[in-house]
Amino acid sequence: MRPRNTLIWALLGTSLVLLLVLGLRVGSYATSYEFILNTFLHYNPDDPAQLVLLQLRLPRLLLALLAGASLSVSGYLLQTLVNNPLADPYLLGTASGASLGAIAAYVLVPSLTLAGLYLPPLAALLGALAATLVVVAIGTRRGRILPAPLLLAGVAVGALATALGSLLTFLARPEGSLRTVVFWAFGSFERAGWDVLPYPAIALLLSLVLLAFLQKDLNLLLLGEERAAALGLPVARRRWLLVLLAAGLTGGVVALCGPVGFVGLLVPHLTRGLLGATGRFNVLFCAVLGGAFLLACDLLARLLYPPAGLPVGLVTALFGVPFFVYLLRKTS
Amino acid sequence: MAETGRPGPGYLCPMRRILLGPLLALLVACQPDKPASQTPATVQVTDDLGRLLTLPAHPRRVIGLAPSMTEMLFAVADTATIIARTPNDNYPAAALRKPVVNNYPLDLEKLVALKPDVIFTVEGMTSPDDAQRLQQLGIPVYYQRYRRVEDVFAGIDRLGVLVSRPTQAKRLTDSLRQELKTLPDSARAPIATLSKVLAITWQDPIYCYGQNTLFTDQIRLAGGQNAVTETFAQPFPALTREYILKLNPDILLGGSFEKLDSTFFKNYPELRRINAYKTHSIYPITGDLMERPGPRVVESVRELRQIVEKSIPRSPVKSSR
Repeated sequence: MRPRNTLIWALLGTSLVLLLVLGLRVGSYATSYEFILNTFLHYNPDDPAQLVLLQLRLPRLLLALLAGASLSVSGYLLQTLVNNPLADPYLLGTASGASLGAIAAYVLVPSLTLAGLYLPPLAALLGALAATLVVVAIGTRRGRILPAPLLLAGVAVGALATALGSLLTFLARPEGSLRTVVFWAFGSFERAGWDVLPYPAIALLLSLVLLAFLQKDLNLLLLGEERAAALGLPVARRRWLLVLLAAGLTGGVVALCGPVGFVGLLVPHLTRGLLGATGRFNVLFCAVLGGAFLLACDLLARLLYPPAGLPVGLVTALFGVPFFVYLLRKTS
Repeated sequence: MAETGRPGPGYLCPMRRILLGPLLALLVACQPDKPASQTPATVQVTDDLGRLLTLPAHPRRVIGLAPSMTEMLFAVADTATIIARTPNDNYPAAALRKPVVNNYPLDLEKLVALKPDVIFTVEGMTSPDDAQRLQQLGIPVYYQRYRRVEDVFAGIDRLGVLVSRPTQAKRLTDSLRQELKTLPDSARAPIATLSKVLAITWQDPIYCYGQNTLFTDQIRLAGGQNAVTETFAQPFPALTREYILKLNPDILLGGSFEKLDSTFFKNYPELRRINAYKTHSIYPITGDLMERPGPRVVESVRELRQIVEKSIPRSPVKSSR
């Protein structure tokens, strides 16, 4: 590894740790560093502040971390797949499909639970998978994924799902569910808990391990279909793998946190800007950077507007967009 | 939704309207010329939002664009002058006989066709945009705003003056104030002894009645206190589970214990540590009473009072932190 890259990794690692520690401190209960340390060493669930720290704050931070990492990796994969820097994790209609599912659950099932299951995340996951399936089906010819039709299908299916979601929202009674739907669409980590964390964590870890072996293939794909094939890359199979990974990663996150925007577009760009378009550890870096970025956004959101925080999707855009524009100007 | 889309009982079919129109015009034309002194005088008033309005001194056609406002109008105004209601206005029963006009989204055309002299509404129920458009169409929109129960009484009095029924309104508010006085006075009790009551309006995200809502005064009059003591920008703020644990409310309003246990507390099991859950002090409230700052506000206070009284009193030592 070049010294410059080592420095970048070290900086990122330090920021991540700092963000995690700071994130643990922010909340309704005042908690000092000693208190946090003490909680980890001698956890006493009868102390409400300690309970809050380990049962609410920590899962929230981890969910933000996982969401940022998953969305960024997913964005990176899709940008590679369609060879277009405009692609983001929601290219496959995931966000709109998930939104439609969640809205349907919120609007049509007032109790929000069915047979003891909390519906919105499940419905969101189903919606995300359904939309992705349709998009992929449209974007495929004889078993081969074609990037351009896939892109267009994503836009079209996304628009349709959004329209259906808006229709449901418009017809919503009681009007309280309107607010839920709007709130959901911005993304939030408030519902985080230990019970749901394993799913996105396992999905992310498996993807990262797999992609560690495939980073070279990803870099080859950037050369274009023909040249990649000429260099011996099974292009069709790799594309399927990328679509499946991206869909799985995004679907899970959207189901749990809502469609948090912008991180999946910004972070891959940032990664390429820092490490180059064909770095050996780009995917891994992208994951860590994405996690740190969403942690920072969530922290900022909670600091700016306590107690519930600003919707995190707003913060990612508010602070990400100016930075993104700066980056664009600088590179062009 | 299907219900609100259907024309209400007072809706005139187009044919009848076509026939009625010229007939009415003829009737008006046949009236002897009114002397100048009898032309409807107007008054300049400022509503609760500080907007300067010109209203007819004796409005003959009024509409309340909020359920609470319609209740107020029915309690004060000549009911024949109330010409419409919104889909949610269901009290008193007489209101149900009035034609329905959609307020969300606002059915501007129908509203204009009804030719009201003045529209009364409550802050937050009608968007300033809609009010602006109505004003441009020549229909003044009078807003009321309430922070305390006393403001509701004052609003009723004020409404009485505006619809030329001041004595009727005064009689009503006198009796309401009297009724409130018969409830045991808890306003002087030390705040630490009052039960902290959290009233939620939505479960995901958790929205509740904030400090700057009428609920704060209502629950105080009922012998409790709003658990949310901080004032947030939104009247109904979204809360985190951590914040609610810290509040540790003694009473939770928003549904029966069984219902919330199988929904709210199932989704947020951490919240089972709050006092309200431990003592089963979890109750449903009549939404139409609690949400409507109208003549039934005292009824709402009485309902809250019963809840506060039947729940286990708060012990001042038991504090979360």
